[in-house]
Amino acid sequence: MLPIRTLLQTALLVGAGILPSSAVADPNPSSSTTTTTTTKTTTARQSTSQTTKIILRLPNAHPYLPNPHLLPASTLATLSAPGLSFAAPLSADNAFVFPAVNASASYLAEVHCQTHAFVPLRLDVEVVAAAAAGKKAGGAGEGGEAAGGGKAAPTVRVRAWETIRGNDWGNKGEGVPAVREGEGAWALEARVLGGKWYFMERSTFSVLSVFKNPIILLSLISMALFFGMPKLVENMDPELRAEWEERQKENPMNAIMGAASGQGANPMGSFDMAAFLAGSKPRTEESSGNGNGNGKAKGEVKKKR
Amino acid sequence: MHTPSTVLRTVLPSLLLLPLLPSPAAAVFRDEVGHIDYHHRLLGLPQRETTFFHRPRRDDRASLLYTLTDAAVVGAVNPGTGEVVWRQPLTAFSSSGNASAAGAGDGAGGFLRAAEGEGWVVSAYGDAVHAWDAISGRSRFQSALGGTGGRVVDLEVMEMTESGEARKDVLALFEEAAAAAGSTVLRRLSAADGSVVWEFREVTRDVPLQVSTNLDKVFLVSLRGTPGAYSLKVGILDPVTGKKVDEVVLGGKGEDLAGKEDVVLVGANSAAPIVGWTDAAKKTLWVNVLGSKTRHPFPLADDTVSVEIHAPHLVQSRPHFLVHTRTATGHRGQVFHIDLKTHTVTQAYGLPHLAGPGAFSTSSDGANVYFTRITEDEVILLSSQSHGVLARWPLKAKGDAALHGVSEVLRKPGAEDSYAVRAAAVTDADDWVLIRNGETAWTRPEGLSGAVAAAFAEIPEDEDLARSLEHEAHGNPWEAYLHRVRRHLNDLRYLPAWLESIPARFMSSVLGADVAPAAAGGKLVRDSFGFRKLAILATRRGMVYGLDVGNKGGILWRTRAFKMPRGLRWDVKGIQVHDGTARATLLGAHNDFVVLRVDTGEILEAKGPSPQATTQATALVNTASGTRLIRIGRGGKIGELPADQAPRQTVVTRGPDGELRGVVFVADGATARETTSWTFSPPAGYRIVHVATRSAHEAVASIGRVLGDRTVLYKYLNPNTLVAAAVNDATRTLAVYLLDTVSGQILASARHPGVDPSKAIECALSENWFACTFFGRYPLRDDPAQSLQGYQIVVSDLYESDVPNDRGPLGDPASSRSAGYSAVGPVDDPTGRVPLPAVVSQAYILSAPLAALQTTQTRQGIASRQLLAYLPETRGLAAIPRVVLDPRRPVGRDPTPAEVEEGLIRYHPALEIDPRSVVSHEWDVLGVDKIETVPAVVESTCLVLAYGSVDVFGTRVTPSFLFDILGKGFNKASLVTTVAALGVGVVLLAPMVRRKQINMRWKAPL
Repeated sequence: MLPIRTLLQTALLVGAGILPSSAVADPNPSSSTTTTTTTKTTTARQSTSQTTKIILRLPNAHPYLPNPHLLPASTLATLSAPGLSFAAPLSADNAFVFPAVNASASYLAEVHCQTHAFVPLRLDVEVVAAAAAGKKAGGAGEGGEAAGGGKAAPTVRVRAWETIRGNDWGNKGEGVPAVREGEGAWALEARVLGGKWYFMERSTFSVLSVFKNPIILLSLISMALFFGMPKLVENMDPELRAEWEERQKENPMNAIMGAASGQGANPMGSFDMAAFLAGSKPRTEESSGNGNGNGKAKGEVKKKR
Repeated sequence: MHTPSTVLRTVLPSLLLLPLLPSPAAAVFRDEVGHIDYHHRLLGLPQRETTFFHRPRRDDRASLLYTLTDAAVVGAVNPGTGEVVWRQPLTAFSSSGNASAAGAGDGAGGFLRAAEGEGWVVSAYGDAVHAWDAISGRSRFQSALGGTGGRVVDLEVMEMTESGEARKDVLALFEEAAAAAGSTVLRRLSAADGSVVWEFREVTRDVPLQVSTNLDKVFLVSLRGTPGAYSLKVGILDPVTGKKVDEVVLGGKGEDLAGKEDVVLVGANSAAPIVGWTDAAKKTLWVNVLGSKTRHPFPLADDTVSVEIHAPHLVQSRPHFLVHTRTATGHRGQVFHIDLKTHTVTQAYGLPHLAGPGAFSTSSDGANVYFTRITEDEVILLSSQSHGVLARWPLKAKGDAALHGVSEVLRKPGAEDSYAVRAAAVTDADDWVLIRNGETAWTRPEGLSGAVAAAFAEIPEDEDLARSLEHEAHGNPWEAYLHRVRRHLNDLRYLPAWLESIPARFMSSVLGADVAPAAAGGKLVRDSFGFRKLAILATRRGMVYGLDVGNKGGILWRTRAFKMPRGLRWDVKGIQVHDGTARATLLGAHNDFVVLRVDTGEILEAKGPSPQATTQATALVNTASGTRLIRIGRGGKIGELPADQAPRQTVVTRGPDGELRGVVFVADGATARETTSWTFSPPAGYRIVHVATRSAHEAVASIGRVLGDRTVLYKYLNPNTLVAAAVNDATRTLAVYLLDTVSGQILASARHPGVDPSKAIECALSENWFACTFFGRYPLRDDPAQSLQGYQIVVSDLYESDVPNDRGPLGDPASSRSAGYSAVGPVDDPTGRVPLPAVVSQAYILSAPLAALQTTQTRQGIASRQLLAYLPETRGLAAIPRVVLDPRRPVGRDPTPAEVEEGLIRYHPALEIDPRSVVSHEWDVLGVDKIETVPAVVESTCLVLAYGSVDVFGTRVTPSFLFDILGKGFNKASLVTTVAALGVGVVLLAPMVRRKQINMRWKAPL
């Protein structure tokens, strides 16, 4: 752990120190004295710590992110490891470019965006001997790294996995293929998790929602019965009506309801104990046949449900 | 390997999609946006050299206003509306070690250039060069020098006419620190991808100053010699290869340059780039056309204070420039012409001396060069050709004087000699104004950025009524009665106005506008809910602002406390607000202070800053003469105080070596001397990085926590505590101490290994809990094979005892029988139970780093608490409910019914910041350093103000929802309609019911 901290500052310069040698096709030595010193320092630094360029791309057409060009310019990606941190802004071609990332560290790579959430990644930047890198490239499919080439100098390899917050750091998730792009640059793709919703929905009031309420529906039905039934009964044929009334009396439920329509809600209210004990037949209640009362009773029972 | 990971992968999305927070108590409703919160989206104060109009599209006439401000923010502003189109903070992308070398945000410097006809702008800050898309604000390329302490000295865009190359490359001049051989590096960066086309490196002792180009040469201007006696060296380079072609040394004995600041830099890219410099006494201005060997001296007026040169930046513009000289009383301008063939400079005409600072700006349209002059009362447009005034507009809104500006001149087609000018100027009140043909189109309060301290103040109450009531109480009854009648008759004057306001008040109450707008007579009135307060904000530029919190955070007043010299910041250490007298006292670090009225900003008393910083911090203490803000000197020394001003409690200061000292004052006659009562030094190798204290107002409603089985865990509520976080850089260990500030005793401590000391470590303390956040990577204690990495927060609860219904040693009858508990009292039984709190801790891995921790405060402390924090990466303000951070959440099992009743949810190590807990919602709040909270009158609500290097944001949070007032969600209109509908229903049904009742009566005797 300790060396990384001390290397931090030297590493930072190396990042740019490497730049001219890697990016310039034809570096133009300006003056002879200075060029020699430059090359000397660059090689000296390379032996202590190496850096690499990492490009984190956004997926082009993801179901959750159909057009990454619409992401706000404030979107940024960070790489953090103990003692190290890098930040890169979103570029015009939907990528985050870290020009010089220190090797020999395991980074937590995160994309911070106002509108979308991204999967946190574990990004291992390792220094490997060129031969080992080439050999491993064939075997390990997960990292998806390309062969390092035939150089004798140690090269940098980048491997990435999804990581799960709150889990063991060694517990790697699905691998994210990192592809070598040109000299000393690695590219990988960020994964979109979904959009972000900042606002709470306010329950809106509408007349329709009131009528969707089952209690309101029940009371409406009972209200319809309350007002409608007497009208129906009145409009009936006298014969039909008589028949209907007859049937009402036979209906065992009706006795209860009829009782309820009477004086009290207690179905036993009309039970004549003395008559029962005396063995006489219970008195038929005429008022129970009354359509008006009947309807009311039905309504009341329905309401009680 | 794959099996566990795939399982976890399936778990992961559900983690985010499932609302992890049991109740998103902090969520904001969309209709409350802009009603309960406000946001000043700022850039910082634009700098003269790095502000310009630029057309982002070649074939579109529309231009945007680009700036790199003193807060190191690059941004584009729509000149029509004054809205920010995009902005990028450069400090975030400049490598940390080198940003400090460039002065990180304090009078930032930096460079910003644009190429004519190109859709990008390029900035340089610290050691990094960034190109940004001019419309979207996204990065085009970046490039850094690297190296220890290297930084960009100048940046220029090459207006290339090289055959076969259409792109306009960027020239970046770097200076490496002396440690790295002190070399000068000039790079030509490809405009396509930022790669280095060529590099010119020179190891000399010269001070690189500036790079300029004309059509066929690159000029590298540097200072040669020793400080105080420099001469100017101009290196001429070939733009294609970067090889040095020639070198010219200018200046010699007698007219030596004293230093960098005497060179009047010209970032000019014109056909004939020039360099101008003055002698130390500002008697003569020397001008050299780069590439030539002749210097042209021009005498300056005797009272010249400063000199600026304004020149066009385009190759096709005429080689004319304007010299702007400021004198103590005013300013004047002189226009010079350069002969391209002979490289001679001649004065074309002079402009009269006018009072006030004034601002000149250049604008070019093809070959024409225009100069716009903004004076105290008018805007004057001049052509570089002759001294005739092309147009002049009187300034409609006279106010603050313009210090510097940029302008865009439009020659109206058709009409001859008809011009339109819009000029964006920075005023001496730190505003950025756009003046369109003399009229102020918009004003951006950029001075609000760079806030260093803030405090809430109550709106002063009208004291007239109180006074007259008092008068009535003390007079004889008859006179009092007459006075009262007179007062009431007098009050009748307001009756028509009051009656008139009823419909408006009724409508606003139905529509849900709970705070009356300030337009009501322009008078500040408190509202009954306590939402309307004043926020006093002091900025590092020496301005004090009064914001009306209840009225969208609008600026009520602004006052310049001090005119800060360049490079010096007003470091306000503390603000005390006396609500009774409506005064605020601001104490600065340089032995300065300001006393002002909170409602008008009128300065009552002030003392300017001294050159040396004398104050470490301030403390609000209770003294015999009331609450006072005392100054703590460097090294933690307070010195003697008058006895009536001496604090009654222990004051904790930082000693010279960073240790904590508890200081008490011992009265000695009329004065009181400070005595160290205790000292807390962290272990060897540790340094204290953060100290968290309680806020001044902290109400706690309940002394215990009722568990599911109706037993009580008593909270350890000791007001005299603080949390100190100390870190060891070598072993990367964080130690967190809870200290008793009376005795200095360590009440609790915790050690966290594998903590990154280079990332922010912060703590917050409230009620009976504290939280610390840091970045760490360490193996787990219960399974060393596993390790964790990420931003974390550790929350600790303090209880008097870990057994319910037990107060521990504090509840012992022996100690309670005496006068009570004393932290400095002797422990009777050393083997017995020592009154230390029982600590329950839990760590969470955060989905984003947190900064500027603060807890919400409510009036009685009944509402639950939230931890407020700034999210520096997503640029938002999060309010994390305390329930989520509860250390008592059951680990590895579901909560029992009793625990559910207590409100505990199952522990999960990852704490995703739910977007619905982001109180700044979709707003992009940049650069928050501190958060202030204050309770409102209603218990449910806490007012929040977040401020810092860039933005100002304020809102109201309701940690336990809005339970005591009707919010916007309460639909008053539907309530009124429901009541009306019911009334109609009753009226309609009443006859029916009556008829029915009568019918029943008639049928009843059956």
